[in-house]
Amino acid sequence: MNMKSLRSIINSEKRFFLASPALLWQVLFFYVPIVFIVVVSILKRLDFSFLNNITLAHYSSLLNPMYYKILFRSVRLAFFNSLFCFFIAYPVAYFLAFRVRHLRSLLLFLLTLPFWANFLVQVYAWFAVLERGGFLNTVLLRIGIISEPLHILNTPFAIYLVMLFCYLPFMIMPIYSSLEKIDKDVFEASFDLGATTWQTLRKVIMPLSSSGIRTGFFLVFIPSFGEFVVPALLGGGKQMYFGSLISYFFLETRNVSLGAAFTCLGGSVLIVSVILLYFVLKKVFGPDRV
Amino acid sequence: MREIRLQNIRKVFENEIVLEGINLTIPSGEFFALLGPSGSGKTTLLRLIAGFEQADGGAIFLGNKNITHVPINERRVNTVFQNYALFPHLNVFDNVAYSLKLKKLKSDVIEQRVIKILKTVHLEKHIYKSISQLSGGQQQRVALARAIVNEPDVLLLDEPLAALDMALREKMLVELIELQDQLKTTFVYVTHDQFEALTVADRMAIMNSDGEIEQVGTPKEIYEFPASSFVATFVGSTNILKGTVCENRKQIEVGELGRFDISVPSDKVWAIDGAQILMSIRPEKIEISKTELAGFANHLTGTVDSIVYHGRSTQYLVLLGDGTILHVFEQNEEHFPHEEIDYDDKVHMYWQKENVVLLEK
Repeated sequence: MNMKSLRSIINSEKRFFLASPALLWQVLFFYVPIVFIVVVSILKRLDFSFLNNITLAHYSSLLNPMYYKILFRSVRLAFFNSLFCFFIAYPVAYFLAFRVRHLRSLLLFLLTLPFWANFLVQVYAWFAVLERGGFLNTVLLRIGIISEPLHILNTPFAIYLVMLFCYLPFMIMPIYSSLEKIDKDVFEASFDLGATTWQTLRKVIMPLSSSGIRTGFFLVFIPSFGEFVVPALLGGGKQMYFGSLISYFFLETRNVSLGAAFTCLGGSVLIVSVILLYFVLKKVFGPDRV
Repeated sequence: MREIRLQNIRKVFENEIVLEGINLTIPSGEFFALLGPSGSGKTTLLRLIAGFEQADGGAIFLGNKNITHVPINERRVNTVFQNYALFPHLNVFDNVAYSLKLKKLKSDVIEQRVIKILKTVHLEKHIYKSISQLSGGQQQRVALARAIVNEPDVLLLDEPLAALDMALREKMLVELIELQDQLKTTFVYVTHDQFEALTVADRMAIMNSDGEIEQVGTPKEIYEFPASSFVATFVGSTNILKGTVCENRKQIEVGELGRFDISVPSDKVWAIDGAQILMSIRPEKIEISKTELAGFANHLTGTVDSIVYHGRSTQYLVLLGDGTILHVFEQNEEHFPHEEIDYDDKVHMYWQKENVVLLEK
């Protein structure tokens, strides 16, 4: 063995060594639990005596359309939440990246301010805003836009509204950071070559910020899919979502194996949705051939 | 192909006047250079023509059409940016095809035109490469191709060669001249580099630090007959001596240095006896020698203060009797010069009165 290949082996092992804490972390707290859930989902009883203990019965009981309706509802919530977030986040990020000069760091700081309060506290704070005698109704009544308090709490509207506010920063941040990197001269070049503002946005700015848009969509879509706090608290628990059904299985009915099976099913749906989303985003925003 | 006419252009940035009273006509098909120091507003003037900036006064005409308030994307003017501003997400072909695709031309027409223009700028081997795979010089050519593919009336070039090394720059200059000959498009070339401007331009305008045009003319006119001491010192190097006209406009008295013969052109009416004027003598127009020479109207003596060897020429800084320093260039015509001038040598300097330019300011 010559010196060069020896060195490259040492180097590659060094790299592995440096990565090992992160890898260990990932294996212990990510892959092991997943394997654990998959195993639990095919057990008859929770005693880990294998072979005669394996069953697909939990999965067959999941063939009930009710479960698919719930999964579909979660996918819909995740999709529209990320879409609404995108439509609000893109102009905000654009404004921050190109229009603001002096106050930029202050505004970015304000954007992270909600993270200072616990998520649950943020959600509870919305009660005070949305309830019958809450802030929003009081203001609207005073101005005279409405004559009777609006019924907002415990509706899907409340869920979508609060989800939007809670997840918005996750969409703004990556889009902002990708927009900020764009050399402003390419805008001028685009106008110079005859493009309108809209064409410049679609053919230059959006393709150049597509990585940020993609990251934003995933950062919002994936946790929104599993969200159960907001639907439970602001939706009044009237409608089941993926996350709320899992907690129902594990905490209420204590049917751990069924819960695990449902988790696997939902996880697969999530993976498929994310892959689909990836291709849709690539088609819509990706390097567009003018 | 239409001429550009700038009428009394004024531009103010944050209460600071950048351009004032700019009047300039650039005939169609001309290679025109805007030369000035940094901060002279030459780039701003270019951006006004492109439409990136709006003038605070005056009007811009392209042919007979007033384009002062026409949006950027509707002007038949394209720009080559200093840092190229290529679209990083598009390959060479799509960068060049951008404007054609916006016009919704048929794809075979687009392909034909893009490939033709890429051949013109010698990039036919790199059609489908991504921008990041190209060298600086190649990116420069893509920027050029992208700007000319749409056949604009005017091509604006904002210090396009600033990022290239010297050898490549000289090569590109020649190519730009050839390209302009071929296209007959009006080129407006902004630069702070006098060498570039003198090389490429049919005509050029010299702008000063106050955002005014000092002189417009051919490179030869600008160099040989500068209109002001600013132009004389900014384009090339020169010696400026201050003196008083005397002897019925035949001589100039320059303080302790004595009197020198001058010939006053008839149009320089301000050069009357008693007037304080400036005299510009280009360093290469001065003959330097350790021995006395005959046949020159004007003569000075001094001591060699420093010698800078440039290869093709040598620059001498000569200390005169009154303490001023005179720059003298001498061509290095011989391997072994018949006389070697050294530091602290006493030297004679001569020039003909025709080679002096008299300046009012």
